[in-house]
Amino acid sequence: MKKVVVAAVLLALFLSVGHAAAQDAGKANLRIGVMPKLIGIDFFNATEVGAKKAGEELGVTVDFDGPVTADVALQAQMLETWIAKKYDAIAIAPNDKAAIAPVLAKARKRGIKVISWDADALESARDFFVNQCTSESVAKALMDVMAEGAGPNAKYIIVTGTLTADNQNRWMADMEKCRKAKYPNMVNLSETPKAPGEDQALATQVTADCLKTYPDLQGIFAITSVALPGAAEAIRKAGAADKVFLTGLATPKMMKEYVTDGTLKKFVLWNPVDLGYLAVYAAAATAKGELKPGATTFKAGHLGEVKIAGSEIILGDPLIFDKSNVGSFNF
Amino acid sequence: MILFSRESVLCCLFAAMFAMFAVFIDGFLDWFSLLERARYWVIPGMIAVPMTFIITTAGIDLSVGSIVAMCGIVLGLLYSDAHWPIALAAVAAVAAGVAAGAFNGGVSSWLRIPPLVVTLATMALFRGVAMGLSKARTVSNFPESFLWISQGDAFKISLGGDEAAFVPVPVVALIVVVLLGWVLMRKSWIGRFTECTGENPTAAAFAGIDVRRMTFWLYTGCGAVCGVAALFNTALYATAKADAAMGLELDAIACVVIGGTRISGGEGSVIGSLLGLLIIGILRYGLEMAGIKSQHVVIFVGALLVVTAVLNERLARVRTRGVK
Repeated sequence: MKKVVVAAVLLALFLSVGHAAAQDAGKANLRIGVMPKLIGIDFFNATEVGAKKAGEELGVTVDFDGPVTADVALQAQMLETWIAKKYDAIAIAPNDKAAIAPVLAKARKRGIKVISWDADALESARDFFVNQCTSESVAKALMDVMAEGAGPNAKYIIVTGTLTADNQNRWMADMEKCRKAKYPNMVNLSETPKAPGEDQALATQVTADCLKTYPDLQGIFAITSVALPGAAEAIRKAGAADKVFLTGLATPKMMKEYVTDGTLKKFVLWNPVDLGYLAVYAAAATAKGELKPGATTFKAGHLGEVKIAGSEIILGDPLIFDKSNVGSFNF
Repeated sequence: MILFSRESVLCCLFAAMFAMFAVFIDGFLDWFSLLERARYWVIPGMIAVPMTFIITTAGIDLSVGSIVAMCGIVLGLLYSDAHWPIALAAVAAVAAGVAAGAFNGGVSSWLRIPPLVVTLATMALFRGVAMGLSKARTVSNFPESFLWISQGDAFKISLGGDEAAFVPVPVVALIVVVLLGWVLMRKSWIGRFTECTGENPTAAAFAGIDVRRMTFWLYTGCGAVCGVAALFNTALYATAKADAAMGLELDAIACVVIGGTRISGGEGSVIGSLLGLLIIGILRYGLEMAGIKSQHVVIFVGALLVVTAVLNERLARVRTRGVK
């Protein structure tokens, strides 16, 4: 008897799933799949808003989904399913530049256009890369803020996300170049950056450990939208806001409370809503054949004419947030 | 009584799910995509086979993911930094897996430390070795001939007319491993002794089974299979990285549990674990094809685990009541 009940429950579940699926089918317009590094964090939730808005404006169906942890293996498996679903274009923010390449190549072989956004994949594996800002401008903005806050002789460490994410690695490489050229007296105390993954609690722990390990620490860069609030929490708990200058990349919504209480004075980002918006415009334009390799600009809705450098589409310049403007954004 | 055997119930469940998805979801019956997706099931599938034996002895191995990552790094570093030929590097990677498994087996069997504790520790230890050796770098420049083992196709099955399905190489490898596991479990003394050891280790020892040596070799064998799985994992993503195979142990254990092997030990079914793998794989694939978001897919898989665990317990009780 129990077995029959269980079987009936399972049947009901599947029927409801099938019903939902049947309702989705039957749209004949362009279909775009957008995959973030992971779902469930503020930064990518903001990109979803922009992506869906672009979909509405263009009249294309936008499906936004990703794995629950920043794992490239899960992204690859999900992409296999998306290839089977025959999207016209896929926009992905990969967790690992090289490991995602085989499945992206498979997608392109099947005629699906591939755009990378936020972080890049191997150049041979995608049609275009939608970058939020040039890596150099992000690095320069971060280094300038640190120099202003902790002085040109500051000793700092870097807390990043994962050691395989291409965007974070490029920023760190450009930060080092900027340091050598502009601030040679600054010292990077962490030979290998700290990498607590996209896990805020772990970032807090890692930062708290660093505050103890490096007694003469003067600055911390927390360059992911999850590391910065994590690090801020550690500094607030340790009461070290006057001794250690914190900066990095995160959404104003998350950092507002830390700016209000003085733990964080200045930080950098760009508009993630616009990033998602631009990624969908680029994907749709590539799928329709309007955006071809060799183009130097293209028109992206309310963003106007956007510059393209090689196969990299640049959203714009980084934004600096501080007490004066942190409350005026909805992301 | 065959109607009520674990395996046939699982088979029916799998068939029902498959049929449901095939009827309701457009494009589900695309054999090409199904087989492509199956490449990813091969890695937890391979590991589920030795894991079945280990769980049958009432033990567990939580370090399998870390062993796979470590062996992948060994392969990558030997090939790209030390310039070993790829075949030799592959052998060395499997040897590293054997060594890791032997360490697990040795510490738990001879030092009498519970496998849960040992493998919990080695889960961190081997992952740390992988991170330390690689210094967080990844290796990506593997030759096409190596990538073929995961990305290539073994042979064609024609499906009537013009359509043909290509069977991926890793799927063939998985079938070989599963067959080997089934033969060992059902047709050889290894399987019988494993089940005896799990049912009652003291009685098994008195019956003349060298329990310590048996469990040592089971963990060593698991390490060896992890080494082989690491080769397929690295070839699938064309990258050797220290954070590979995160959570693999839980995937493998889920396959074994759904397959009917009880955590308390005493009975094991390799075919059951294979069915468990297929059920989880098809469920995830079908739900994703239906457009269900990944947060919700996780709920379905969790619910499935609970339901099958309960089902398996009920079935086991029906069987023992029948015997009495």
